[in-house]
Amino acid sequence: MGPNISALEKEIGTDRFPPNERYFGLVNFGNTCYSNSVLQALYFCKPFRDRVLEYKAKNKKNKETLLSCLADLFHNIATHKKKVGSIAPKKFITRLRKEKDEFDNYMQQDAHEFLNFLINHINEVILSERPQANNRAKLTSDAGGGDNHSSSGGFEEPTWVHEIFQGILTSETKCLNCETVSSKDEDFFDLQVDIKQNTSITQCLRGFSSTETLCSDNKFKCDNCASYQEAQKCMKVKKLPMILALHLKRFKYMDKINRHVKVSHRVVFPLELRLFHLSDDAVNPDRMYNLVAVVIHCGSGPNRGHYISIVKSHDFWLLFDDDVVDKIDQSTIEDFFGLTSDHQKSSETGYILFYQSRDSSDPKVNSNDCRQNGK
Amino acid sequence: MLNHERVTDDADHCEIMASSVDGAEEEDKLKTQFVIRDGTYKRMTLSEYSRPNRVAYTTNQGNTAVKVSFITLPDPDPSGYPERLCFNTGKELYVFVYKGVKKAADLTKYVDKKIYKGTNPTSHDFNRFTATLDSISLVVGFSTGPIQLFDPIKREEKDFKTFNEHTSIDKSKVTCVRWIPNSKNLFLASYASGHMYLFNQDLPCCISTPSYQILQSGEGYAVYTLKSKSPLNPVHRWVIGHEGSSVNEIAFSPCHSYLAVVSQDGFLRVFNYSTQELVGRARSYYGGFLCVCWSPDSKYVVVGGEDDLITVWRLKDRCVVARGDGHHSWVSVVAFDPFSTQLHSDEDTVQCYRLGSVGQDTQLCLWDITEDVLTQTNVFSVRTKTSNNNNNTTSLNNSTGNGTIKCHNNSNSTINHKDSGDHSTSHVASLTQRLAGFSFGSSDKSKSHDHNHHNNSHSRSSPNSGLSLADSTDPMRLIGTASCPRYDQCPRIEPLIRKKIAHERLTALVFKEDCFVAACQDGYVYTWARPGKISNQNSHLVAGTGSSTVV
Repeated sequence: MGPNISALEKEIGTDRFPPNERYFGLVNFGNTCYSNSVLQALYFCKPFRDRVLEYKAKNKKNKETLLSCLADLFHNIATHKKKVGSIAPKKFITRLRKEKDEFDNYMQQDAHEFLNFLINHINEVILSERPQANNRAKLTSDAGGGDNHSSSGGFEEPTWVHEIFQGILTSETKCLNCETVSSKDEDFFDLQVDIKQNTSITQCLRGFSSTETLCSDNKFKCDNCASYQEAQKCMKVKKLPMILALHLKRFKYMDKINRHVKVSHRVVFPLELRLFHLSDDAVNPDRMYNLVAVVIHCGSGPNRGHYISIVKSHDFWLLFDDDVVDKIDQSTIEDFFGLTSDHQKSSETGYILFYQSRDSSDPKVNSNDCRQNGK
Repeated sequence: MLNHERVTDDADHCEIMASSVDGAEEEDKLKTQFVIRDGTYKRMTLSEYSRPNRVAYTTNQGNTAVKVSFITLPDPDPSGYPERLCFNTGKELYVFVYKGVKKAADLTKYVDKKIYKGTNPTSHDFNRFTATLDSISLVVGFSTGPIQLFDPIKREEKDFKTFNEHTSIDKSKVTCVRWIPNSKNLFLASYASGHMYLFNQDLPCCISTPSYQILQSGEGYAVYTLKSKSPLNPVHRWVIGHEGSSVNEIAFSPCHSYLAVVSQDGFLRVFNYSTQELVGRARSYYGGFLCVCWSPDSKYVVVGGEDDLITVWRLKDRCVVARGDGHHSWVSVVAFDPFSTQLHSDEDTVQCYRLGSVGQDTQLCLWDITEDVLTQTNVFSVRTKTSNNNNNTTSLNNSTGNGTIKCHNNSNSTINHKDSGDHSTSHVASLTQRLAGFSFGSSDKSKSHDHNHHNNSHSRSSPNSGLSLADSTDPMRLIGTASCPRYDQCPRIEPLIRKKIAHERLTALVFKEDCFVAACQDGYVYTWARPGKISNQNSHLVAGTGSSTVV
């Protein structure tokens, strides 16, 4: 126990320390902060943590998977005899490096790529471990990504990963010739949004669903007209996920210098969020989200710099910087919005935002969600 | 897997977006003038106020918003410039003679200048009631909790007072200080802790940790007085909303009867100030409310916040009646422009309110809130109507007409009009006075602190306001009520114009007769001349027009 750790307990106050809660930093194994920051954020997405711990309780003697390693890690934190401290996610990182070549080195990785990989991979593990797992499911798990099985959703029971993270986007395309509107649904585990200087996440999401006209080389193949036509396309959210993960596209590829540069634009994000621009048949359009965690990128580029995360636990905010945990004032969140000037290259900016549905603790809504998924 | 698809999709999107961005670039360019129906507004480059020694551009401006306060000295000022401007930037506070559109700012000649150590001034207000030609009272709140009172004209040590000096009353940031209308010695300060305190400048402050006793409470708030043998500050403590949820701004109505309070918990709460009774409230679509203002006739409250929207709330039926969608980020200031508000020919009722707003998107929006929008049949008003007289077929005009009359009766019974008809405050916009005069009549109810009376009037107002769910602050229960209509349930207005007028976040907006004043996070206070206010005498103050005009 380092001196800063006991300081944390002191700062929270032993009488105010939430019962059954643990705050553990994660040791860095050489540029593994991309993983540490995302794992902390996910640990404090309560529905996710609960399901992982539940998995641990139910699956005692399974063969080692990335999910079982994650479950062991979460279990170790949640059942630790100390309230605060640090823990080495050695088994998890070793397994991660075995699972995916891209992570099998000591380079800085992209936290969003890792999150994307982890969520999809866990989903595959759950599917492959199902007793009724048919060949088809095995196939998809072998593919390890790139497959689109979950969009067909109809033939398979959704996993709890779906229940937590999956939302549905519908792209409505209106042929400008025959005016027929066709829509196509696709699932998402997170939304990736373009950012602009001095905007809010609300505005960035608006850009996401702004109407675009498909014309010239990019015409739309209209089934009704049986030809390529000009059309208007618009993306709308049809099903709101329980946990809305928003990825701010802060790394932009620059042709001139042949690499990605960081975009430090100031993008404000509120502690509460609702979504505009839902499709007319959207499920639960009133859903209100609370910000529960933010993965923050510090530094000047995608391959250098550092990742940390801030999370909300009970009534206060904590900052996890690898093995160091600090209580922070809610007002310091604005330090992570970004920079209003382009002169400074390095910045500490929100990179992945985790919004949790306010009603996700309500079991009735949960079962509703399941039904929606299973329809 | 699916996300991979999404990525490729996005790559296409990106290119399309990029081309549309180019198209929109004109819109995102910094403007030094813009045209609306009324004519051309121009930025007066030489009428900019800032710290005298301009420093090289730095990003270390801190997070303290630059606020401006104005006072018009009541007696005729021999210099011909009766206005004084106060603004804060970083750890500094300046008071200047404000020469508006008439003459260039002379930044070397300030009336007063203060540089603080270890704390930032955050909010300030001049006392309009006590101002004379050679004496003004300026109250200033600080980021570390204290409040100072001094006279920037006399600058005498003996007039200098500090409140909450040792932060035994509150340790959080002062978010807003306002003099109680027409009071010589009382001011109200709101804090990031979610508390508000009423101070009397003539009383000493409580030295030890104060202990309070409850005076009045209601849904989501409570008012306390200090337990002490001799009178001490704070006179009152208000606790608003959840513990620790910052009160972001407060505003007294032009009729002086009401106090509007917006806070980080996403609520607008409107109180009858003298009875300390909650009159009504509204909830943001999401996120905190950051700013609040009253219409010149005290009939509407407009708030802006972290949902990027402006929300128009009507006092008479405690209803959100419209939302404005135009900003690209959080709305930091809303202000009515009483000089551009259009009256009906009888001069007694408003045809169209002009509203301005600025935000973190560095943009100014001007809005026309027309009678048409405000009289649209609102789902919540309709519900009220049917429950009252079972007449669904009442025409639009009739129903609103009835509503108005009924409401006037309602509100008059609970309002104190101690100030209506008082015309001694010459600096108040004349329109405000005129409107304040008619809209609240002269029913001068005697001041009452009878709690039963308030409770009665409160319960009387609740069925009229859709406040049946008022026992809960849960946004999931408030959505779809008069306090927080769904997005498609209430009329949406678009801005008349939306212009980028600064490089940095905008933090203040004040409308004056011949100009408007906007301040920016980087410490600059800009003056924009109204249409027709630039003549041969002042055209040299505008950037780039010198060649076209002979001076």
